[in-house]
Amino acid sequence: MHTWVGGQGAPLLVLHGAGGNRGWTRALAALAEDYTIWAPTHPGFGTSGDAEWMEGIDDLARFYLWFIDVAGIGRPHLLGHSIGGWTAAEMAVMSPGAIDRLVLVAPVGLKPEAGEIRDVFYYTPLQLRELTVHDPATIPEWEELFARPPTPAEQEIAVRNREMTARLTWKPYMHNPRLAHFLPRVSNPTLIAWGREDRIVPVVCGEQYRRLLPNATLTVLDRCGHLPPIEQPDAYARLVRDFLTGTDRP
Amino acid sequence: MKLYYFSEMPHHEFPDAEGDKYSSLRLELPNRFFDREKAAANYRRYLTEYELADRVGFDGLMINEHHSTPSCVNVGANMTAAILARTTQRAKLLILGNILPIEDNPVRMAEQIAMADLISGGRVLSGFVRGVGVETWWANTNPVHNRERFEECHDLILKCWTTPGPFRWEGRHYHFRHVNPWCLPLQKPHPPVWVPGTASPETAVWAGRLGYTYVPFLVPFDIARELFDFYRQGAAEVGRTVTPDDLGFLICAVTADTRARALEAGRHFVWRMGPTLRGPAEYFSPPGMRSRAGAQFALKARPRSLATMSYEELVAEHFIIAGTPDEVADRFAHVQRQLGVGHLLLEAQESRMDHPTTMRSIELMGAKVIPSVAAL
Repeated sequence: MHTWVGGQGAPLLVLHGAGGNRGWTRALAALAEDYTIWAPTHPGFGTSGDAEWMEGIDDLARFYLWFIDVAGIGRPHLLGHSIGGWTAAEMAVMSPGAIDRLVLVAPVGLKPEAGEIRDVFYYTPLQLRELTVHDPATIPEWEELFARPPTPAEQEIAVRNREMTARLTWKPYMHNPRLAHFLPRVSNPTLIAWGREDRIVPVVCGEQYRRLLPNATLTVLDRCGHLPPIEQPDAYARLVRDFLTGTDRP
Repeated sequence: MKLYYFSEMPHHEFPDAEGDKYSSLRLELPNRFFDREKAAANYRRYLTEYELADRVGFDGLMINEHHSTPSCVNVGANMTAAILARTTQRAKLLILGNILPIEDNPVRMAEQIAMADLISGGRVLSGFVRGVGVETWWANTNPVHNRERFEECHDLILKCWTTPGPFRWEGRHYHFRHVNPWCLPLQKPHPPVWVPGTASPETAVWAGRLGYTYVPFLVPFDIARELFDFYRQGAAEVGRTVTPDDLGFLICAVTADTRARALEAGRHFVWRMGPTLRGPAEYFSPPGMRSRAGAQFALKARPRSLATMSYEELVAEHFIIAGTPDEVADRFAHVQRQLGVGHLLLEAQESRMDHPTTMRSIELMGAKVIPSVAAL
């Protein structure tokens, strides 16, 4: 498994979304000032090994609970984005004691009460990039992340990421009908962050998570789409840091 | 060489201007354009054409299945096979085929094929296909499991036909605690199995290994030869010699009393090559449905999309054969010489090709083409 590790302080396990592990981004670097970041690339994604035996996000959740044990990182804070957020939520309901604070960033996993989670598999990568962000002009890392055409190796990784995402989330599409029944178990302090202009996962899912998790707050970022860590890295990192240090509360 | 008659049972009963509004006729064109009255008449018409093809001497009647598309409203290959099993007398019933990866109950499929075989007096040729991506969306089966489900579904169907029940099946994708089908095929040990190919080398190797009849669909001759080489590779692995009877090829073909009429009728096939295959790549190849090797071969197999070719180009490259009976017989012989196949599958009706034209083409094939080609 490929894992980015860096920073200093309490351990923070970061689980990426369907687009793959974007590496040491500006938001991660900011968080690394106060936390030891563990940012693994999911099995079947990027340059991590295959996991064709996996069937769903619950398998990935069990895998990462095991990962925490093997990596010897104690009881980390857990942060997940999109399908990584869903994975984090599944881990929390399976073993709430294994993690400290929980951060869910635009997680899928729940069926929206209104609207639908967009079917990402219908779209080309270019169309998806357009749909996932609110305004490319405001993204500070646009040049580094998206401006250059992908190399053949990067294209191959994008195909792998997409296939593994399909493997894990195809049906029921991007949600677990049973998850809502287990979320009340999770009393860990939880931050839910969402972009108000998210065109992939409706913000109403954030409300649902907040209602179901006993100790959660929801923060909705204005002028932000489905990629808060990329679209607003500074505000996002501040929000997460304040929450993890507990300074967000009276 | 044996000839097979095939109709996709199209439902081209809407204004093309309406179809053009959608990025794909498959999945997207709303079914408010499905005309129930016309469909009722068309199904009867298409069955009548199949029945004539049986009477005039076609060696087989090929039946296929698609979903959520006006290009083919034959939504139940086994249902059609069962009807023709009763209303035809002589021709083989080539189901090409059942879409295995989207099937959730292989035992029921084994039973249905067996029942058609019994009613037909043992005339079923049982084709198994992986399907195009559209059917995966329609059925909502995970495309990354496509090949695994194809093979496991196949294995279970074959076991239903060849292993006395009851037995239990606990596979990766299929789980049946009690398999004991009370309907077994008349043909022993089971109906011959056929497999089509358009681009997957793995499928060709697999079919060669298992000794199934292998039929590339609408690919250039050089690609068909390459796929046959993969097939031979598989056959060689098990020490089997490949004969023309193991190989088939599918093209579009129509004949008429004059060359001009035949060429006019042949234009209807262009709809099948272009508009009905138009659409986002994701519809036809969702994530993981094709292996990397298959995807690369697919790019090579279709250096040019059929949709971008003119009618004249499609005729020149033998995707479409249209002419007088003598002319089509000559072209069929050319295909046979080029590919060494023992079976030629004719997609012989399409789009808005009318009933009289279709019936006349079938009659002429029977009277003049089949006798000439039979000796090849």
